[in-house]
Amino acid sequence: MAKKMFRYFGGLTLLQENWLNKMAANGYRLIRTGKLLYEFADCVPGAYQYKVEFIADKSKSDAQSYKAFLEGCGYTVFYKNANLNFSVGKVRYRPWAENGAKLATNSSTFNKELLIVEKENDGKDFVLHTTIADHINYCKKWRNIWLTYFAALALMGILFAFKTPVTAIVLGVIGIITLIPSIVYQAQVTKLVKQHDLEE
Amino acid sequence: MRDNAKSGALTEVTFFVLLSLYEPKHGYAIMQFIEEKTKGRLVLGAGSLYGAIDSLCKKGWIELYNDSDIRKKEYRITELGKEISMRELSRLKELSQIAESIIGG
Repeated sequence: MAKKMFRYFGGLTLLQENWLNKMAANGYRLIRTGKLLYEFADCVPGAYQYKVEFIADKSKSDAQSYKAFLEGCGYTVFYKNANLNFSVGKVRYRPWAENGAKLATNSSTFNKELLIVEKENDGKDFVLHTTIADHINYCKKWRNIWLTYFAALALMGILFAFKTPVTAIVLGVIGIITLIPSIVYQAQVTKLVKQHDLEE
Repeated sequence: MRDNAKSGALTEVTFFVLLSLYEPKHGYAIMQFIEEKTKGRLVLGAGSLYGAIDSLCKKGWIELYNDSDIRKKEYRITELGKEISMRELSRLKELSQIAESIIGG
């Protein structure tokens, strides 16, 4: 019997992944997604495993190609939104994305920022990325996203500084908060690069 | 995927992907080939393999062979890829000979 649930995880991919794996462990397999909707069908408890991957840095064709590649590897793949935006004709600038993906629209990757990947549980670990170089790229991707937020907030803070200093201070504080994950991801990049060099 | 351009050494993943494509294969078959040949020691995630294929295509070491099924695009090694593989084999043989002469075996 189908079961519908409504959740919003934003860009918290690990939280979403854990929740889907918990649902699968309780005998619910994902069959459809909407902006807030997750629709499940009954399954044998623990029969499926899930991974959630952030792909908003990919161009439309690369995202489609990657999804098809994963399907060819035997996985079931769903697009999922990280944003919660219902407007039509949306255009968003993503300076951290790869070439050809910097302008995201409703017809490309806007509202399709994530892939939910489902694998039949064969008793083996489910991992999509197994090389250090991949992990480095993943950390760099998130570092650049947070740095973009910081740069945007800093710029707005400077613009507001002369007219409404209180707003500028609030923006500055939020900006500094966004620097924390950037620093954390940069530290991971440095650590992984050192590890990579040792393994080379 | 980072191969050492200075010494010419390939990463293990790069070399295995090149070896797997002496016969055309799609992504899943490449993963199976590597797992089978290494008896499960080296298991490549699909995401990492996608990146490796993309990178090797851009270098011209492998090429698209058949894309009639978008989910199971087949790739094969190019002449340049074969040349790179031969060079890596020679390097490994030399390394092996030096190691044997020192360690024995």
